[in-house]
Amino acid sequence: MTKMMRTLLILLMVGLGVVFLYPTITWYFFTSKEMKALANGSLPEIRNWAENEAQSASEELKRLSQDSEAVSASLPAEYSFLKDAAKINYRFTKENIPRDWTLGATLNGFRDFNEVNAAIEDYYRQSILDLKDMKGKILALGLDLSGGLSVVLEPDFTALEEASTEVLSAEDRSAALEAALEVINNRIDTFGVTEPQIRRQLDDSILIDIPGEADPERVNSFLMGRGSLGFFIVDDTGTETIRNYMASGGKIVDRKPVEEGLLAEGLMVLGFYTKDSYGMDQFKGWIVVPETPGLDGSHIREANPGTDQNTLQPIVTFRLDPEGATIFQRLTSENTQKYMAVVLDGKVKANALITETIPGGSVRVTGFNYQEANDLAVVLRTGSLPVQLNIRSLQSVGASLGEDTIQMGLRAILIGIALVFVFMAFWYKGAGLIADIALALNLFLLTALLSSFNFTLTMTSIAGLILTVGMSVDANVIIFERIKEELRLGKGRAAAVETGFKKAFWTIMDAQITTLIAALFLSQLGKGPVQGFAVTLAWGIGCSLFTALFVSRLMFDLGTEGFKRQKISIAWGIK
Amino acid sequence: MKLFNVTRYRVPALITSGILIVIFWVYTMFFAGGFNFGIDFQAGINFTVEVPAAPDEQAVRDALSDYNPQVQTAGDKGGKFVIRIADDAQNDNFQQTVSKAVSNNLKEKFGNVSILSEEYIGSSFASNLATQTIWLTLIALSLILFYIWIRFKLNYAVSAITAVFHDVLFLLGFIGAFQLEFSTATIAAVLTIIGYSLNDTIVIFDRIRENSRIVKDKDFNEVINLSVSQSMSRTLITSFTTLLAVVSILVFATGTIKTFALSLVVGIVVGTYSSIFVASPILLAWHNRELKKVHEAVSHTGHGALSSSAKASSGSNSAANVPEPVKQTAEEIAEATEKKSKKKKKKKK
Repeated sequence: MTKMMRTLLILLMVGLGVVFLYPTITWYFFTSKEMKALANGSLPEIRNWAENEAQSASEELKRLSQDSEAVSASLPAEYSFLKDAAKINYRFTKENIPRDWTLGATLNGFRDFNEVNAAIEDYYRQSILDLKDMKGKILALGLDLSGGLSVVLEPDFTALEEASTEVLSAEDRSAALEAALEVINNRIDTFGVTEPQIRRQLDDSILIDIPGEADPERVNSFLMGRGSLGFFIVDDTGTETIRNYMASGGKIVDRKPVEEGLLAEGLMVLGFYTKDSYGMDQFKGWIVVPETPGLDGSHIREANPGTDQNTLQPIVTFRLDPEGATIFQRLTSENTQKYMAVVLDGKVKANALITETIPGGSVRVTGFNYQEANDLAVVLRTGSLPVQLNIRSLQSVGASLGEDTIQMGLRAILIGIALVFVFMAFWYKGAGLIADIALALNLFLLTALLSSFNFTLTMTSIAGLILTVGMSVDANVIIFERIKEELRLGKGRAAAVETGFKKAFWTIMDAQITTLIAALFLSQLGKGPVQGFAVTLAWGIGCSLFTALFVSRLMFDLGTEGFKRQKISIAWGIK
Repeated sequence: MKLFNVTRYRVPALITSGILIVIFWVYTMFFAGGFNFGIDFQAGINFTVEVPAAPDEQAVRDALSDYNPQVQTAGDKGGKFVIRIADDAQNDNFQQTVSKAVSNNLKEKFGNVSILSEEYIGSSFASNLATQTIWLTLIALSLILFYIWIRFKLNYAVSAITAVFHDVLFLLGFIGAFQLEFSTATIAAVLTIIGYSLNDTIVIFDRIRENSRIVKDKDFNEVINLSVSQSMSRTLITSFTTLLAVVSILVFATGTIKTFALSLVVGIVVGTYSSIFVASPILLAWHNRELKKVHEAVSHTGHGALSSSAKASSGSNSAANVPEPVKQTAEEIAEATEKKSKKKKKKKK
């Protein structure tokens, strides 16, 4: 290969590296904390934010549109994205596209302010969703560095086996596990701010990662299972009190109003939510219920959505076990003409009037549209986990501890690398600088590669990174020592470099391939921290082979032929 | 270049290594009560808590006396503790119960408590990881053995692997004797040292292989000394630069990574030592034994057909008493391999 080609190849690699690294750098250095938090957030969170932003922006535009001076002035920069939407609208209505994009001209591209509002909301939503996409292409930080909660749950089929008469087949187990995953996914919104990752692993365990969240108590909320669903008799006077209290700017903390003495002992306030057309929870109001449910969900056998034969209204029918039926009959007879709330995970999902005593353990709840009936059936069905899940391992790191670790770790690495750089330049002089460039390129390519497959950086993978530095330097040291030997024999620059590289080649290959074997093997089969370490090391060896054998060589050759250098600066004693 | 006569020290070196390893292991097993297994290998729960009001470890231990915890001070500012409670598999909801109890008990006694981190490993996972890691490491080692066998010769491979076992035994003994926590990070450290030590050994072996072809008028003992001396500056410089990086973690980082760095420092020193004083002498001993066999065969039958193991590329049956080295320099080998690869490329085309 000619030098030209070699240089081009290296430049190509660097170019690719820049492309791969771009999202990572933008994310960590040019994205504000608020935007990061939003991109980490769940979809409802993003929707709320986009709606709020759009609201205030369109109000501002409305105000400006009253002002004739502002209307004829050019569009403010922060709204320049409206131009594109307006352009499309102009084209659609086959009107002439205005030459000057004044505020007025832009707004005329829309039918009304609702359309403007929608366009703004679109823009904000899209910008966060784009950021979310970008997050999938960065070098992520592991929980030990960024803080967060990671749980591995394993299914315990013994209870299920006892309950069923037949032996469980593999499909049964798989189905039960899938259903359990659905339950957990349904409870995703109990986590509010950040979006957890829920994965089924090869060995049928379930991995849940919740970045930024470090409270292990939360695990309970998706393990509580049957107990988390309950039927409560609504306390009407309490609900009325809370409605008035909230209307006058009250606040609810931990299911209690901030103002003490407002509610009687043993009562709590829960939010009433219904699903909107996106399937997202929508807040309807506050409802006061006793702290202990009239009937808890462990008595529910099954729940089915259906249609009432007489009224054609959608209904949910659920069947209770015998004990539950007795309790429910008593409960409904004592509380006729009161409201009953169906509560899941601390949220009121349905609130219906009890019209008569309900015997027999078959309960039909009306008053929903079909979607709601279906949802309620799902809620009731998923209210109980189909299979018991046990915690196999749990790791929670407070965000502050994570931040400390990463800062200390980063500093340690930077100091270590800086020391290596200085030592090489001191010991090998000019050649040492070449090794330093090769090492820098090596680290650059390695981080680019790792970001390109959205690798999660943990403390052990940072250790792998540091070992890579050592190995990369070693390759250069082997080459330089060989070159020095050739120089001692009286060879000139070109010849010494040529034989030095040739002789060092197989030494380096043998030495690094043995390590690579171990690294590759462990990166495929190892778990957790071992795997992170091995993956980093394996790619690191690949990169250091490339930089030591290819990049360093090119730099020597360029020095020999490009700059016509006869001598080599490689050690203090040798000229 | 200074010539180091390393093979002269092979007996004291091997004895010292052996004694140290035995001392470490005996101490670990009989005096320290085995390894200090961390959370990854022993079912249980680990907390890092910040309790500014707690005066010392004992106070924290007393507050949680129901659970028989291990308590250690973390960091040097005080008020931070690492609490470990083993899971005896008696309780179904161990993690949830203990997690709640620990935070409640501490809050009751000391007021302001923040739980900085929590780790729980169930019993099935703990035993899984340990056995899996041992198997994976052994398989990886046999793959490596196979590679060196192909690239060098069986005696090189066995010597290198023996040196690796020496390092691993030494490092594990050190970790046990000083009661460093044995965790997944330890596994990573051991694996690193395996890679590093092999790397070191192979660079020297590569030289021995090369020299045994070029230097014909010297015996194998001198060839080893020459090769070790020639690669000495490389060995030291590489160890030094790697140590620079690792020691800076040891000094500046905090938490588990510190233990990891300490293991690496010990491992790098031992790995460097073993590639010089363990791997090469074993290779020499093997060579001498085979040479003796050859001599015996010669004196018994009058003609020997065994080839000496010291010559990597031999395979010729020519040598009887003193095996004839193959007349090939490193450059020629390099050229030959290049030609071969070019031919292969042409064939592919």
